[in-house]
Amino acid sequence: MTTASIRPPLARPRRAVLGGVAAGLAIHLRVPVTGVRVVLVCLTVAGGAGALFYIWLWALVPLEPQAASTVAPVWRRAPVAIVLVALASASVITELAGLTGNSDPVVGPILVFTILAAGGAVAWSLTMDVADPHRSQASATAVRSAATFLLLLGGIAALLSHAQGFDAVLGLLAIVVAVAVLVAPRVVALWSNLMSERAARVRQEQRAEIAAHLHDSVLQTLALIQTRAGASTEVARIARAQERELRDWLFAEDQPARSDLPTELREIAAAIELDFAVRIEVVTVGETTQLATTAVVGAAREAMLNAARHAGGDVAVYVETTASSIDVFVRDRGVGVDMASLPDDRLGIRESIVGRMSRAGGAATVTAGAGVRGTEVHLHLARDHD
Amino acid sequence: MTSLVIVDDHSIFRSGLRAELDPELTVLGEAGTVDEAIALIAAELPEVVLLDVHLPGAAGGGGAEVIRGSAGLLGTVRFLALSVSDSAEDVVGVIRAGARGYITKGSSGAEVSAAVAAVAAGDAVFSPRLAGFVLDAFGAVTGERADQPDELDRLSAREQEVMRLIARGFAYKEVASELFISVKTVETHVSAVLRKLQLSSRHELTAWAQQRKLL
Repeated sequence: MTTASIRPPLARPRRAVLGGVAAGLAIHLRVPVTGVRVVLVCLTVAGGAGALFYIWLWALVPLEPQAASTVAPVWRRAPVAIVLVALASASVITELAGLTGNSDPVVGPILVFTILAAGGAVAWSLTMDVADPHRSQASATAVRSAATFLLLLGGIAALLSHAQGFDAVLGLLAIVVAVAVLVAPRVVALWSNLMSERAARVRQEQRAEIAAHLHDSVLQTLALIQTRAGASTEVARIARAQERELRDWLFAEDQPARSDLPTELREIAAAIELDFAVRIEVVTVGETTQLATTAVVGAAREAMLNAARHAGGDVAVYVETTASSIDVFVRDRGVGVDMASLPDDRLGIRESIVGRMSRAGGAATVTAGAGVRGTEVHLHLARDHD
Repeated sequence: MTSLVIVDDHSIFRSGLRAELDPELTVLGEAGTVDEAIALIAAELPEVVLLDVHLPGAAGGGGAEVIRGSAGLLGTVRFLALSVSDSAEDVVGVIRAGARGYITKGSSGAEVSAAVAAVAAGDAVFSPRLAGFVLDAFGAVTGERADQPDELDRLSAREQEVMRLIARGFAYKEVASELFISVKTVETHVSAVLRKLQLSSRHELTAWAQQRKLL
């Protein structure tokens, strides 16, 4: 009696012949699975209790829990759909034999059986076999076309034999079911498409609503903070960074970030703004289809860093991409630099900007700004036409 | 003394901006919706209207609708668009409706005051970003150039140079000394570009405006 307490729980295994009921029962009761099957079949033949018991257990006994790391789909070894198709074809053959024979044919019950078997085959293959990796797409298609063909054959034969009353109705029904079987997968696909589209639209609308609200409230407040705090104060910089982040989130249209030159320079500018008391305005003109050029990005980054470090305040970055060349201007409002008087150990401009650009086949010029003060770095690179 | 009306739907922003403005400017009133703004402008006749691009009320046309509603006053009242968004697409509709320039709401009180003074003096106010947008929209990068000075759909060589320098962050005075011309001439070029921006039927401009239902 102690064994009863450690009896394995009643559960249906995932690798089953049909529903896993017999195997589950056998494990639970610790008897050979063949014995369980024999009892079930005997009970089914003697009055149908076995089948009812089987269906009852199938519905109520849970599936074996799956291991945490693996996703184990249910694998049914019995080719139920194919067996049902075979039954349907047998019944259609019986019907045709009866119709061509001389004796009074029995059409009604045979047609009902055909409709149930063929419809059941399609239903099984659409619901149970879809999740099963051991059943291919091709076999589902084969089951469906076979079912359609059998239903049409049975229905048309019944109608052509001048069936009367109920038989004629059944014949028509067979044809209707055949058509339904044919279009069922498309209808199912259409329906699930419609559902997911609706869900996506609802999400989109919600997002737009949130965006509108945030635009009207938070962005305005952030702008006001920047106005009140003065452009290059700590508070204004934080507000500006926050505003940029929020704006990116609000107006990014789910597109993957492209790593072209303007995008990269904007990202660099955003990063520098966080570290220095500086406001960098990046203006880009022209279409860029090519990826960012490492030398230009590196040199521009160095120029922006120099401007942020030595000048601060407002820095203007202008990027112009034409069919033949890329030009980047970085302009600050600092006291300016004199290239000739720079000590040799100041590698920033000489090496990281001028040297880098000339190695890449471009040019960099550093000029004192047009006014009394300020420095402008100009990077120029001809574009390859390959 | 320049008289001014502030139109923005956020009272906090209005009062914040008002406190930051140059004391030389006289604020005649504030409005929060399209209808209020049109009525206030007609009653007060300010020299300059600081106009938010996104504004509730009336037909939903925002700032552009205010300008159209005050169309009869465009000779005496000048509009300066103010936007929380710094994308020039947002602003092109207001400019085309008749605004004389645009600045972002993140600008400091001093910057806003300077822009108001410039607009009051009859100049156009172009931020670097708007200049960049103009260069793009008029195809300056792809080499399009007006042969006749009165051609509306393209910029002349000089106008392109001026726009490029403004996009690079040059002030009008710096543009003038860079190109060896007078500040007055720079202002003339900028006004000419503004006029083209307002009157041109270039596809890029009309497409943006139509998208935002501003035409």
